[in-house]
Amino acid sequence: MRTPTLLALLAATSVSFAAEDGAQVYNTLCVACHGPDGKGLNGLPPLVGSDWPKGPAERSIKIVLNGMTGPVEVAGKSYNIDMPPQGAVLSDEKIAAALTYIRKTFAGGAGAVTPDLVKSVRAATAARTTPWTAAELLKAHPFPPPRTALVNLVGTMYKGEWKEMPDFSKLKPAQIEDENTGIISPAQASLKDAFAMVWEAKFQVPEDGKYTFVFDCDDYGALYVNGERIAEIKGIAPIGGRRKEVPILLKKGAVPFRLEYVEVAGQEVIILGYKGPKDKEYQWLSDTKLGGGAKAAAKARTPIPIESKDGYTASYRNFIAGTSPRALGFGFSNGTNLAYSGDNCTVELLWTGKFMDGAHHWIDRGAGNEPPAGDGVVKLSDGFAVAGPSAPSGAIVAFQGAKATEFKSVPVSAEFKGYQLDKAGNPTFKVAGEGFSFIDAWTPADTRGSAGLARKIVASGDKPVTIVLARGLAVATKDGALEVGPRLVVRSLSGVAPTAAAAELTLTLKPGESAVLGYSFR
Amino acid sequence: MKKFTVTLLALLVLAPFASAQAKKKAGKPPAGPEALALQDQYYERVQIPTPPGEVVEVSSIALMPGKKVAIATRRGDVWVCEGAYEADLSKVKWTKFASNLHEPLGMFYKDKSLFLTQRPEHTRLTDTDGDGKADVFDTICAKWGINGDYHEYAFGTDPDKDGNVWVVLCLTGSFHAYSPWRGWCVRVTPEGKMIPTTSGIRSPGGIGMNEKGDVFYTDNQGVWNGSSSLKWLRPGSFQGNPTGNKSSELLGFPAPPEPKSGSRVLAERLKFPEFVPPAVVLPHGKVGNSPSGIACDMTKGKWGPWANQMFVGEQTASQVQRVNLEVVNGLYQGAVFHFLQGFEAGLVPVRMDQEDGTLFIGGTNRGWGSRGSQPFTFERVRFKGKVPFEMHDISARPDGFEVTFTHPVDAATAGNVASYAMDTFTYIYQSAYGSPEVDQTTPTVKSATVSADGLKVKLVIDGLVRGQIHHLVADGVRNKAGDALWHNEGWYTLNEIPSAK
Repeated sequence: MRTPTLLALLAATSVSFAAEDGAQVYNTLCVACHGPDGKGLNGLPPLVGSDWPKGPAERSIKIVLNGMTGPVEVAGKSYNIDMPPQGAVLSDEKIAAALTYIRKTFAGGAGAVTPDLVKSVRAATAARTTPWTAAELLKAHPFPPPRTALVNLVGTMYKGEWKEMPDFSKLKPAQIEDENTGIISPAQASLKDAFAMVWEAKFQVPEDGKYTFVFDCDDYGALYVNGERIAEIKGIAPIGGRRKEVPILLKKGAVPFRLEYVEVAGQEVIILGYKGPKDKEYQWLSDTKLGGGAKAAAKARTPIPIESKDGYTASYRNFIAGTSPRALGFGFSNGTNLAYSGDNCTVELLWTGKFMDGAHHWIDRGAGNEPPAGDGVVKLSDGFAVAGPSAPSGAIVAFQGAKATEFKSVPVSAEFKGYQLDKAGNPTFKVAGEGFSFIDAWTPADTRGSAGLARKIVASGDKPVTIVLARGLAVATKDGALEVGPRLVVRSLSGVAPTAAAAELTLTLKPGESAVLGYSFR
Repeated sequence: MKKFTVTLLALLVLAPFASAQAKKKAGKPPAGPEALALQDQYYERVQIPTPPGEVVEVSSIALMPGKKVAIATRRGDVWVCEGAYEADLSKVKWTKFASNLHEPLGMFYKDKSLFLTQRPEHTRLTDTDGDGKADVFDTICAKWGINGDYHEYAFGTDPDKDGNVWVVLCLTGSFHAYSPWRGWCVRVTPEGKMIPTTSGIRSPGGIGMNEKGDVFYTDNQGVWNGSSSLKWLRPGSFQGNPTGNKSSELLGFPAPPEPKSGSRVLAERLKFPEFVPPAVVLPHGKVGNSPSGIACDMTKGKWGPWANQMFVGEQTASQVQRVNLEVVNGLYQGAVFHFLQGFEAGLVPVRMDQEDGTLFIGGTNRGWGSRGSQPFTFERVRFKGKVPFEMHDISARPDGFEVTFTHPVDAATAGNVASYAMDTFTYIYQSAYGSPEVDQTTPTVKSATVSADGLKVKLVIDGLVRGQIHHLVADGVRNKAGDALWHNEGWYTLNEIPSAK
């Protein structure tokens, strides 16, 4: 009696299993990152509220088959994360089922995905072995154009060179196009240099109130809203320095909009957005947004300032932009900072002001280099800094040049041996080679009233050593001090003095000798 | 649907004559609050309060004299905890020992110093002035390459019997070898010499030793890894991923194997004798998704009856799995079982106090999601003294397997072949990411013979397949009290079938 019942049940479930397969695949493989509710777990990208799973399914299929890498914007937030490829794990049927489930459950009823479509995309992308980037996917499968407040947008292009905003009524248009996207872009001119454009539209005002427009462009521009010229950018210059933010009171309804633009040469960029009474963020009317790309991603993170506290020197060991991967940063109590390269056995960066922002490496997985948070970064040198007392024997081998796809090993004459901290957390770096070693101590010290650093280098062993203090910066002697590049002044305070050349500053110490140097900033 | 599945499973348990194919689905790990309550009868899991207001994404755990426990964090701090063993954990005291380290993954205490493996180097941290803070940071070895890629992780062991630390070096981005020795295991001597030891590594999640001092690491599913697994780092071996092979040229080593993509591990390792296959495959999605730290039970019973078994952390599922190992024809192999669950974040380090029997675990889910939903956790697990009814281990025989149980079994159920089901499968060994399960077979359990003491059952199997994962479900077996197994399935990686003597 039981057997037929069980078989009937199994038969019934096998049908159910097919229908439920998508949820099963999702809850086995996708859920760990995208979450049971599709909202993303632990700061990973959501599916809900995202444009990515919507629209043409080919885009989603490609992501599942080959994975995705690099920066991506999802639901208004920036991520830089890898999605592992699943094409070798999942059959066409399983991918179709999972995507159907995702599109139905999390993407507002986007259409079902058939195994045949997955099969055809798999065949078409068979040669692809690396994960996709967001840019590649959006180029092939763009999002539907967003609707903006600009309706009936028409762009008129004029050819020519102007040194001021021309009187457009006297010019003959070279091209007139409808821009149904409601988005303004200099690319709509199809020219790189020597053109002007005028965009005209109705700006839809959703409610009465104050509207703040932000506007910048490269080169000339003039913005008219409701018949009034509210902002003007003059001259030939890149974006950044001339940005205008202008409030205007508007009443609900459609008001005239006009933007005049002249591109002389170089980059062509327009940034235009507005914030209405209820908007927290700018609504963009241009293809370029304020601080687009990586800068926007950095902006989206709440900074985690790392700073010296109670006179104790702050430290940060991670990937610091401008030096090598084995980087150690120290931020001193007097607002001076350094980054040491454990690969090159020397301090490579000096700067003042803020030390480091930990948010980049401490939120998400921490991909990439973080630049110093402060100002006026001085790059002292690049490359290995210890000239050997004799040709390297080959017994000491370090590895350099590992940025490219091919690496090489380079014998060097010395190795970083670590560091010691004094009671205030100030570092003394240790370097040793064959027959010699030296210590390199840094403490905050004010020189003639301005914040600086004192550096003491002591050599030991039985061979002399030559250390590169700066390379690639102009070195000039002035009032008994060395001006190193435009920002740095180095003084010999006691012991052996450094040797200055045109663009190099070195120090040669015999065993037992030392040098004390004062570093200050101009 | 969920409810319906439960009904179906209940039916299957009631119907021991159902087909093996159907019963394959019966081996589900217990889940939900009832499962956690059951676990709590055997093991006590508690969260240790971390320093207030601090982000403590635990990446390493070291034991120190005087019942102190040191933890390192992904942000690069080292904290020392006093009171982690106490009943009242509200009184734990934390002292910051060091900061400014680069994602340390592996730390131990020796000769009054903490040694740790961090991304760029192996380092010794010493407090020379006795103020409780490290002031000397000696770089012992920085001879492996890093190029600024966040995925170039380095996991290190405790010292082996020669004092060497074994370090597994993840591939660049887990796909490439853009820096020297990525995809290799190296040994670091106390003097700082680096000895490249094995090639073929992809993306490790942890590394540790068994009771013999043999070193194992976990490698995650991905390119050339159809599934995650626990692998044995036999010196001179190739671990299966050829991406980092070119580093062999740096020291003039013989070139490691260039296996054929789309093949099987068995076929390729028979071509290349240095290719050591995974000791125990941790089937992807079934056992876990990303295995991490490894601890061996040498507690002499304080952790339960699991002498010399390996306990493997699991990041995605926030679990600890249990592994029994044996050597057949010179290769490690064995079985994995579900064990502990419900941890509060994705597990990374696991550390067994071998004297005390306390297992410390650390977790983080930054960048990689986990079932445990807290951003980080530090926890302690102790055996409560009540031995759960489990398959203690599965051991290969020329004609099948011998299963040892932790309780004497009921001879009627344990001696009935219908109480067991077996299926086998493997993965495609390929340069693509992961693999579906392939080459499925369904062997037949021909006989089940219970030993006189009731602790062992000899299963004669028709259809053992060399190189395949043998999934055993023993859902029909009861102990003398009539209880079912706590976990009723195990996955045995049959690298070698022992020969009859």
